Amino acid sequence: MIKGLFKKPRNELELSTTGAKPAPSGVYIPPELFTVCPGCKKSVFTSDVQENAYTCPNCGLHMRFPARQRIVWIADPGSFVELWPDLKSSDPLNFPEYKEKLKAAERASEESESVLTGTARIGGIETALFVMDAAFMMGSMGTVTGEKIARLFEHAAEEDLPVVGFTASGGARMQEGMLSLMQMAKTSGAVKRFSDAGGFYLAVLTDPTTGGVTASFAMEADVTAAEPGALICFAGPRVIEQTIRQKLPPGLGRAESLLKNGFLDKIVPRDQQKKFIVRMLRAHKKPRREG
Amino acid sequence: MFQKVLIANRGEIAVRVIRACKDMGIATVAVYSDADQEALHVGLADESICIGKAPAADSYLNMQAILSAAAVTNAEAIHPGYGFLAENAKFAALCEQCNIRFIGPESRHMIAMGDKDHARRTMRNLGLPVVPGTEIVSDAGEARAAARDIGYPLMIKARAGGGGRGIRLVTDESDFERAFLDASREASSGFGDSGLYLEKYMQNVRHIEVQILADTFGKVICLGERDCSMQRRKQKVLEESPAVDLPEQTRARMHADAVRAAEHIGYVNAGTLEFLVDEAGDHYFMEMNTRLQVEHPVTETVANIDLVKWQIRIAAGVPFPYNQEDVNIQGHSIECRVNAENPAEGFRPSSGTVDFLHIPGGPRVRFDTALYTGCTVPPYYDSLLGKMIVHASTREKAIRKMQAALAELVITGVDTNIDLHLDILADPVFQSGAYTTDYLESRGIK
Repeated sequence: MIKGLFKKPRNELELSTTGAKPAPSGVYIPPELFTVCPGCKKSVFTSDVQENAYTCPNCGLHMRFPARQRIVWIADPGSFVELWPDLKSSDPLNFPEYKEKLKAAERASEESESVLTGTARIGGIETALFVMDAAFMMGSMGTVTGEKIARLFEHAAEEDLPVVGFTASGGARMQEGMLSLMQMAKTSGAVKRFSDAGGFYLAVLTDPTTGGVTASFAMEADVTAAEPGALICFAGPRVIEQTIRQKLPPGLGRAESLLKNGFLDKIVPRDQQKKFIVRMLRAHKKPRREG
Repeated sequence: MFQKVLIANRGEIAVRVIRACKDMGIATVAVYSDADQEALHVGLADESICIGKAPAADSYLNMQAILSAAAVTNAEAIHPGYGFLAENAKFAALCEQCNIRFIGPESRHMIAMGDKDHARRTMRNLGLPVVPGTEIVSDAGEARAAARDIGYPLMIKARAGGGGRGIRLVTDESDFERAFLDASREASSGFGDSGLYLEKYMQNVRHIEVQILADTFGKVICLGERDCSMQRRKQKVLEESPAVDLPEQTRARMHADAVRAAEHIGYVNAGTLEFLVDEAGDHYFMEMNTRLQVEHPVTETVANIDLVKWQIRIAAGVPFPYNQEDVNIQGHSIECRVNAENPAEGFRPSSGTVDFLHIPGGPRVRFDTALYTGCTVPPYYDSLLGKMIVHASTREKAIRKMQAALAELVITGVDTNIDLHLDILADPVFQSGAYTTDYLESRGIK
């Protein structure tokens, strides 16, 4: 054994001469420096994850992507113009603790709602864009979410723009009760009118896209893509298992199983998404209306 | 002064740094991989922490594990040695963030000099001669046109390059496009940056580098130069200081240029500017190494200064007490890199257990190594076993002393390149000092 073989010299610490900076007063590793990947459980540098479009540099797991950063990543630089940023949820039912939850969600996501809407150029093509943010009450759909989505489709129809949307949602927002469920019909109606007018709609379903959002605008696109491993379902696997008291086959509700069963057109990893979206937009580009 | 320093390295350089710390009364923390549990640096340090599996990517390059080891042991500073994380700007920045002093330059200097294209432009703007070439060329077509202006042979180099990767020598225009695309791919996959520039390939040149040391108060001193022309595949084999038959005017200009460059960029700690010197005695800046060099002992020996101790003191904010006038280069020093490799079999790396080791002694003979009888040389890391360094009043005496020392050095159990060194030392061309970077290649040693 090499350890313990050598004696320790009795040298005192060399004197620092004048002008020496005091030594640092204790190592501190800021917790935000590292992110533990939920997939491989490895601890990786947060900066690496961010530079890698929120995919794990070790195992490639697609982590949740903050909406505003996703826009910076997918849209041509400086081209995003946000629409209706001031629409904010109220508490129409006086639901217990809803106001506090909204405030906490604003703090967690640094956004005022679970979806960002606007126009942007992607690969030089003018597009109406919505991106949902799972950090805002798990992307749940309240009246404002539905309103912003519906308005975006109406705006796109008026301006003759294609719509590109990234969904991420736990479903309808229970704190808004029936009003929230009504957003399914409202957004579906808007998508239908947009579609009837000949508009092109591409959706990218990200983890998780569930509940009322899956049952409405997420599944109504002309081209429905998804991110690898994303949970896409109406009711989550745990809820189904508890209801039917049976173990579900592994992978049920994940993008790969949906693709196999014909619910999706394609699974597109993030590093290929921009190219894919641009190709789809080009393929479905309509000649601009005159005037 | 730091109470405790973590050494983020292995092998002879980890031992070298631990010894300096012991002299200074600083407690040491060694980090090691699974393959290095019985390594000398682990035994010498006051504390040791295993940081991962044998492959370097899992251990000595594992920034998170190393930072965690520093946190657990409360080490105030990290000495990175050379190689591994020594020129990793991200690691230096992380140390700054975690309130750990990185013993070396600031991350901004590593970024500025690590971008070889940026470094060339900085030096050119300062009036330093640089190897003739281009800035970043965007595509093969543009590059080919630029290549015609420079003339063949030429080098294609990666902006982010290092360790001989992302570099191609092109002797004929018909090979240019393929070499350009190869280098671009290699740079892109190796460094995540496919930026390439072209440089004239200079023949019959010597590789001479200048050592500088800069404190945190803006004082920069030059500690002379090293001749590192004895190379195989761009890897240094033997180094000496001072450079032989270097015209005094060239030497003075190189030293002044190195100091001026370091002052201009506000450099701190030990650094080396590498130059090529042609037959006419003109020098051209190649790149700057922002770290301690493997061959630092030849400078220590002739300048009578402990570079590692001063690296630590400078990082602790101690002002440098000497001025340029106090630097007195005395005698001649040679270093031979003893590697675990077999020259007869194309320099195949060798690993195994050292079953017998005899290290020569005597005045002015130094062998920096992490070997001991019974130790294991693992196959995972670079092949350096040790560095034999001798010092004498003249070059001729230094060569004699090195021949005697290497002839006495015995390492059994692994193959070594000792015989190659003995052949070089006995060669009249080497002894005359008239050798250039193509010495080994021109003798069929590739």
